[in-house]
Amino acid sequence: MSSMMASTFLRSIQNHPLMLYPAALFIRKKVVLYCTMKSTESQTATQEKQNPRIKVPPRTQTITTTNNVSKDYEAVIGIETHVQLNTLTKAFCSCPYNYGSPPNTSVCPICMGLPGALPVLNSKVIEYAVKVGLALNCKLSLNSKFDRKQYFYPDLPKGYQISQFDVPIATGGYLDLDLPMEFGGGHWKFGITRVHMEEDAGKLLHSESGSYSQVDLNRAGVPLLEIVSEPDMRTGIEAAEYAAELQRLVRYLGVSNGNMQEGSLRCDVNVSIRPIGQSQFGTKVEIKNLNSFSSVSRAIDFEISRQVQLHSQEKGDQIIQETRLWEEGAQKTVTMRKKEGLADYRYFPEPDLPGVILTKEYVDAIRDSLPEAPEMKRRRYEKMGLSMQDVLFLANDINVAQFFDATIAKGADVKLATNWIMGDIAAYMKNEKLTINEIKLVPRELAELIASIKGGTISGKIGKEILFELLAKGGTVKGLIKEKDLVQIVDPVEIEKMVEKVLAENPQQLEQYRGGKTKLQGYFAGQVMKVSKGKANPGLLNKILLEKLNAKS
Amino acid sequence: MRMGMGSCRALLMGRAVAATASASIQKTQVFNFSRKISSNSFGLCFSKSVLITCRNNNGVRSCSTASIRSSLEPPDVPRLAETARISLTQNEVEEFAPKIRQVIDWFGQLQDVDLHSVEPAIRADTEGSNLRDDVPETFENREAMIAAVPSFEEQYIKVPKVLNKE
Repeated sequence: MSSMMASTFLRSIQNHPLMLYPAALFIRKKVVLYCTMKSTESQTATQEKQNPRIKVPPRTQTITTTNNVSKDYEAVIGIETHVQLNTLTKAFCSCPYNYGSPPNTSVCPICMGLPGALPVLNSKVIEYAVKVGLALNCKLSLNSKFDRKQYFYPDLPKGYQISQFDVPIATGGYLDLDLPMEFGGGHWKFGITRVHMEEDAGKLLHSESGSYSQVDLNRAGVPLLEIVSEPDMRTGIEAAEYAAELQRLVRYLGVSNGNMQEGSLRCDVNVSIRPIGQSQFGTKVEIKNLNSFSSVSRAIDFEISRQVQLHSQEKGDQIIQETRLWEEGAQKTVTMRKKEGLADYRYFPEPDLPGVILTKEYVDAIRDSLPEAPEMKRRRYEKMGLSMQDVLFLANDINVAQFFDATIAKGADVKLATNWIMGDIAAYMKNEKLTINEIKLVPRELAELIASIKGGTISGKIGKEILFELLAKGGTVKGLIKEKDLVQIVDPVEIEKMVEKVLAENPQQLEQYRGGKTKLQGYFAGQVMKVSKGKANPGLLNKILLEKLNAKS
Repeated sequence: MRMGMGSCRALLMGRAVAATASASIQKTQVFNFSRKISSNSFGLCFSKSVLITCRNNNGVRSCSTASIRSSLEPPDVPRLAETARISLTQNEVEEFAPKIRQVIDWFGQLQDVDLHSVEPAIRADTEGSNLRDDVPETFENREAMIAAVPSFEEQYIKVPKVLNKE
């Protein structure tokens, strides 16, 4: 399932009109990027020096900004991502959390905020936060704490959210990613401002007609990590790729299923524009309700166009600090609420929970057990000599990457294994709507299949037949070859007999061939192959056939 | 302080007045949280070899106050009411203002206590690790909890429609 979702995303982006971006734009970006890579500590400073690079074509018919206008502005984009941790229980109580359970079935006095109930922190929440902090190259706070963020809304019955405010568990990191080739490629580093732990709120359903709302508290108290990026992104595509890489990372780490449709990974983006050359940021607008990577990309590009248009019409003052909602149907953002000054959350340290203290030993133990991150995997695949397109495909989904790694570990040729996985296996998965973990083929047998073809035991054509058998029914390559008697015929005497039989059965064609119609060689080769049931070694077959055809001429 | 927080835990839309009082306490910054905090006062040690870093984040925390004020600002009752999502008539505003003022002044007396040599007690001391294993347990008395919800319909808790969050 997950692999399909990831590849679906890749496809949907590929089909996107954004791929029509002028190539020159991206070449310039790469240069800028290079500077950023050299000094990650001073990303903000680097940003200020960046060249003009925004050139956003209009995304919909309603917006008619021309490229000439948008060339004078650059967008500044930052993303807040909420990642729901896949712990078995909630953050502060032992209620199990399963997406899709009947409403209000997984609740207790703690997550319902009943008076007197006290929270007790789930140890996995800290473990997962440390994992993510380390994987994002952050500095960890060995001594952090929880704070109360007060807000009065029925999705949080306590009247406050337990969160982290001034001392988050991790700060100052970065995320590496490789932009797909169709967007110009290039290696990118986006800054991470902070990572903090907090609890999720319940779900509210607003009745269409009635004057009431319905509350489901199953999700209240489920652990989240809020990951805040530096304002390092400049286009919708960059932001979507950042989010996709975060999803990849949390899946690789096994801390979240990263599923956007279920709300396990939620992105809020902040977009502002400024005239090129201006160092201070413009008024930022927050966009919510983005539940796919393509909506992240399209909402941002729409918002940039909207703001550029207002600026170009001398209506820049109409850009106000507000929260806007992305409307998928209309493909536009609309005002959700205007910010009346800064929200007063009245933060203070959570008195019901002890501070969060990490020891160096604890952090080191987690660091030592971290799995290979997507970035490390991509660099390793690159060193194996694979093209960037191959690298991105294989590393996109942790399960595909693990399948590939296991195949290679069984001694399979790197490029051949890549071709089989990206070709026939991926096509089969797509057609059957299966993930790589659901197919019956195991890495050991793929390695065996590749070796059998390479070693000449079976032909490539037979190999393909066996592959589909293995994909659908499982079994072993050796077993199938034996069972179906598929071993390639490499005995020249046996092939010669077949050639002679075919020549004897086709005297007319033989005469034509010898009369100069040499194209008929293909016909004879096909007939011999048919007689051999596809098992004759093609090279040997052609060599013997040619000898026989030309023998009496 | 525990009392203040407890009363703030209003189930859904209830206890608005308590929330109002609590809000005013926060707003007038009675407590000083941002002085030196040593981790000795925290529990949750993974080991004894933890180093102690003192963080002083004055100006960041909303509830910090650098200097002691002897007189506190009068409460802005209409604003507090808005924060607590309740509507008050002008008469009620006039009636509540002195009462809330009284509570604040009472807390204000605490401002006069010299605490410069005292470490802030943010929370009760807990010895050792206070973490829980990630093992699910179903709360057994859910029915009683749900029965106490003022309005429960078709598996959902029913509340007045609230669309504006902040």
